[in-house]
Amino acid sequence: MRSQIPEDTKLLILPTHLVDRLRAIAIRQGVSLSSFAADSLEQVLRADEMDASLSEAVDAYRLSEIQRGAGMVDVPRASLNHLVGKLYGRKGDELRRVWGEAGRWYGEYLRAKLKPEETLGFLEKELLVAWNLDEAEVKGSETDVSVRWVSFAMTEEFTELLLSYLSAVMDALGYREVERDSLRGMAALKYTTIGAR
Amino acid sequence: MLAADEELANKVAELASRRGLTVRQTVNDILEQALSVEEAGISLKEVVEERWMLEKAQEIGFTFVPERLLYQVVDAAYGQGGKQFSDTWRGVGSWYGKYFSAKTDKPLDAFKEAMGLLTFGASGFSLEKQKDDRLAVTCVSERFTEGFTEVFSLFIEGVLEVLGYEVSDREVSKGIIKLKLSKRR
Repeated sequence: MRSQIPEDTKLLILPTHLVDRLRAIAIRQGVSLSSFAADSLEQVLRADEMDASLSEAVDAYRLSEIQRGAGMVDVPRASLNHLVGKLYGRKGDELRRVWGEAGRWYGEYLRAKLKPEETLGFLEKELLVAWNLDEAEVKGSETDVSVRWVSFAMTEEFTELLLSYLSAVMDALGYREVERDSLRGMAALKYTTIGAR
Repeated sequence: MLAADEELANKVAELASRRGLTVRQTVNDILEQALSVEEAGISLKEVVEERWMLEKAQEIGFTFVPERLLYQVVDAAYGQGGKQFSDTWRGVGSWYGKYFSAKTDKPLDAFKEAMGLLTFGASGFSLEKQKDDRLAVTCVSERFTEGFTEVFSLFIEGVLEVLGYEVSDREVSKGIIKLKLSKRR
């Protein structure tokens, strides 16, 4: 038996209860148990190299899926800042309105896609990862929510647009803005529930 | 028993040592987690790939934005137009070209990878290396507006010019970018 194992191969012991589940998935995917297990080990090691746990990676995957479903695209922040800067002087009101509309639509989309108890946590991750902010915190109680974010690279115009967008998202999620304190690249906001929706 | 490639087994052993666990415990933990993902109907490979892409996107200063919103804003700015607007998009492309050159010794591959993030989902992007140091770039999306197609083509040109290429043939119309480039002598 040992002579059939190639020299550059090591044997890892697996508990029986895992083997049955592994075999079931491997059969479903049409691969061997060894190949499925080795691939799983490789993927988890790859996540570990990124300093990410598998549950974090699953959260990121879910976030991307929802973003993609909502028609989000990734663009260089510098280009977007330039665009906004160019237009803001003459079309600031219109831009805020358009960003507000986009936020409202996105909030409704999140309401349809997520359970209510998942929404605020998702929003916090989204601000941090998808909007590429340096800090983001979304804390909620039964009736109140506070949002705080910081971005060192954000322009004043972009800050205002993100505020319009975020308040519209929150409105669609059933929260009314009651307090706003903002500076370039920084905001602290408080919301309260609008009522049963 | 699971027969694993020696290099993979060694990496698992290193991870176990870092976590202060035995190899056996570590293998069990990893496979338990992997099974819980796959049993939820999600591909583990896609999960890890997505995490990698998000990390890359953050690293190179990308941000998510609603696609419709992006096109509206670009078109409005494009309407006000002028050479300055075009120059800026080419300039941002040049900045990324320099960034990729400084970051890696294979900047063309890094650019191709980044375009995979940029054109996420909606569009098709291809960059083919051809004979005699020539490149063929195609980017197609039915959603691109006329203004966005134009400025996006300038962004691509800006990157590739810094990487030592010049455009020899250019076909840009709403939703379609086709560029041919050759190495600058």
